Amino acid sequence: MSWWDKLVAFIPLELVQGLGVTGKYLFRKKVTVQYPEQRLEPKDRFRGMFGFSEERCIVCHNCAKACPIDIIHITDHFEESVVDGKKRKKKVLDRYDIDLKRCMFCGLCEEACPTKPVAIWLTTKTYETAAYERNERLYFDKVRLQTWDGVLPFPGVKAPAEGGMPEDPKAEKKAAGGEGA
Amino acid sequence: MPEPLMTYLVIPLVKIVVILLVLILGAAYLTFFERKILAYIQIRLGPNRVGPKGWLQAIADALKLFVKEDLTPARSEKFVFLLAPVLIIVPALLVFAVIPFGPSDIWRLTDINVALLFVLGVSSVGIYGIILGGWSSNNKYSLMGGLRSAAQLISYEVPMGFAVVTVVVMAGSLSLVRIVEVQRELGVWFFLPGIVALFVYFVCGVAETNRNPFDLPEAESELVGGFHTEYSGMKWAFFFLGEYANMIVISAMATVLFFGGWLPPFPNLLEPLWTSSALAWVPPPFWFLLKVAAFIFLYMWFRGTFPRYRFDQLMRLGWKVLLPVSLANLMVVALGVLMLGERS
Amino acid sequence: MESAHLKAFADAEEMEISFGPQHPSTHGVLRLMVKVDGERILDVKPIIGYLHRGTEKLFERETYNGCIPHTDRMDYTAAVTNNQGLVGAVEKLMGITIPPRAAYLRMILAELQRLASHLVWLATHALDIGAQTPYFYCFEERDKILDLFEEYCGARLTTNCMRVGGMPFELTAGWTDRCRAFIDQFPAKVADWERILTKNRIWRERTVGVGVISAADAIEWGLTGPPLRGSGVRWDIRKVFPYDRYDEVEFDIPIGTNGDTYDRYLVRMEEMRQSVRIIRQCLERLPEGPVMAKVPKVIKPPKGEVYFSVEAPKGELGYYLVSEGGDTPYRLHVRPACFINLQALPEMVRGQLVADLVAVIGTLDIVLGEIDR
Repeated sequence: MSWWDKLVAFIPLELVQGLGVTGKYLFRKKVTVQYPEQRLEPKDRFRGMFGFSEERCIVCHNCAKACPIDIIHITDHFEESVVDGKKRKKKVLDRYDIDLKRCMFCGLCEEACPTKPVAIWLTTKTYETAAYERNERLYFDKVRLQTWDGVLPFPGVKAPAEGGMPEDPKAEKKAAGGEGA
Repeated sequence: MPEPLMTYLVIPLVKIVVILLVLILGAAYLTFFERKILAYIQIRLGPNRVGPKGWLQAIADALKLFVKEDLTPARSEKFVFLLAPVLIIVPALLVFAVIPFGPSDIWRLTDINVALLFVLGVSSVGIYGIILGGWSSNNKYSLMGGLRSAAQLISYEVPMGFAVVTVVVMAGSLSLVRIVEVQRELGVWFFLPGIVALFVYFVCGVAETNRNPFDLPEAESELVGGFHTEYSGMKWAFFFLGEYANMIVISAMATVLFFGGWLPPFPNLLEPLWTSSALAWVPPPFWFLLKVAAFIFLYMWFRGTFPRYRFDQLMRLGWKVLLPVSLANLMVVALGVLMLGERS
Repeated sequence: MESAHLKAFADAEEMEISFGPQHPSTHGVLRLMVKVDGERILDVKPIIGYLHRGTEKLFERETYNGCIPHTDRMDYTAAVTNNQGLVGAVEKLMGITIPPRAAYLRMILAELQRLASHLVWLATHALDIGAQTPYFYCFEERDKILDLFEEYCGARLTTNCMRVGGMPFELTAGWTDRCRAFIDQFPAKVADWERILTKNRIWRERTVGVGVISAADAIEWGLTGPPLRGSGVRWDIRKVFPYDRYDEVEFDIPIGTNGDTYDRYLVRMEEMRQSVRIIRQCLERLPEGPVMAKVPKVIKPPKGEVYFSVEAPKGELGYYLVSEGGDTPYRLHVRPACFINLQALPEMVRGQLVADLVAVIGTLDIVLGEIDR
């Protein structure tokens, strides 16, 4: 390097350039979202807190089998009833428990549910399920899954018991888009 | 009140209290400003919850440190452990005894004709605080951190001294008041002829205060925790405040030496603007504060941008690059002053 | 006997320091036993296992589609490529060809994930070396990528976005527009960060000549990914054993020359630009059609074994699958890129200073989730 190059190398031009970049960002709009006054809205397919509909459930155990960590506990019994003079056996749901503290929100249960619309779904945009006691409050039984007792629903979202039930989230996922290219 | 008592006791006491209050409050609020400015550079908001827009954050931090448990390590040298933070913050505050904030006598505490020497000497005492802090913690990592920090500080004092001597050569006096006066007489601030000296001074200043890019001794991702690892509560607060007070000292010295201290821009050319127009009510300390604030902003801008030097690279920079450069610059400036005429 | 003790301390040549599992700059729970002489490193011994969760054992009791969420959690900064490796292995064993639309979707998601992973790498690497702000800039961009993932599959980090035989979902309306908008503004951001770092003399002093490994040594140690390419070896699984239609898109592989940290930095920055190029081509050419091949409801690969690897952002991520014909794998072993890259750490830092150790760990881009599984 010539002495001129050495001299110029001493002047930290690239450092000044770096300062320029950070100086530019100093005046940019800040990206902070002031939680809890402001909240980012999760997208439609966001896998959040469970919604469950006992009416739609046909007790097929598909969700329990599909769950990779076996946190869905289902017990049922057969009930005999006489309909139109014929003996009918119907499966009745006794227990539908989800151990929320272990759930990894993978969505495989929702994919496995065969009913249309699904009986178990996660696209509820609700993620605020924090509780002070882990074992009592984060184990959701059939009733709590529908009333969402202890869960803070995302603003605008209703608990399943109050009617916040999607029409057919699975169908929407499979049919949406199509405009790919 | 008798005249001598007023002039020699009461008024200086008032000035001391004012300066100390402003400095300590300023150093505390510098923590807030640093967090805000770093945050804004990093496209986020920084503290904005405590008080209106976060302005009480510094007070909250100070209160928290006040009530924190004051631990002293078991086998440490207790007196020295207590002394070390004091040795860091007191010299930083003491320097402001000789810095002029304005033209006349009311704007400074005192004016001694070797003020620059006083500043250099007193600020060097801070290094003892670091060494003693590291040693008295009875922790070999603190000791190593303290020694590294001290080595860094004394290495960078030498080029800083030469940069300052450059200004002395240009001004012809060691008195800070006289240096500012000369800048007013000449009509040009010393940063123009002394641009290299300013650069060297500020870089050394950043290294002297252990700030990014020279903050390896106290970086978190390092093995040695730095000399203040064992300190907690108010003692640690003093270390921290001492660091910010030192930042203010370096910035104040840089403005006085290179940027005309309390002078408004173009003091001679625009004199009518500053003396008779509507802007005449602007007090001189305003300009001083403005320039100090600009330097402090530069400190924080550096922290937000640059990676940090490794220790050996840091030492190499101080001894092998800055020292020859500041020496060469001194010779060039001295030659220039000789050729352009004598200064008294 | 005080003086003897002090003399022993002063004369001691070696000191063994434990860079403990919880440390701000080991990326994850990695423990390093560092033997130093003063400031020079004599030897480094990584101790891992603090994040071991028995993933490979868990694989043996899950159905194949149930294994996919477990793979998300291995290299948690790059979940999509983990998924891609697993489904690719099963498809290879079963002989399934996925529809072209699914292949292109996989490529787009994988390259977006490469961008996201490299953004985490840059953020943490710069932070370790002292530059605090690229962290925030990188995470702003990463957030936009994670938004795209969230819109597609419902999760940002643990995506679970691939299934054996194709993709589970179709794209949402406007996803491609948003993706295109993102990659249009991304190269300008990369240029910004390069302006802060690439020519910066402090950055160069911290990274040039640090953690050098020669090409021959890199091959011997089994390094893959940017550490290998930084040493000058032209090896990228996407070019050498193309999967998922990578042979239909044009892209270059950046190669370094010296094998030091600076070269690996340049390689990854260029990889980010090449990923943008790939995504742009895929978006243009995205074919219509189904996203899922005809796959039986219960996936039962025939008896056999297969090895399939993908070019994950960290390196070559391989899956070795042994199937006995049932619906769960008999053995599913993961070849973790980071684990094998980490083995070269002692080789790379011997003789350097302690401050460089942090830089080299950052440049190897290790994620303990993958190392420990």
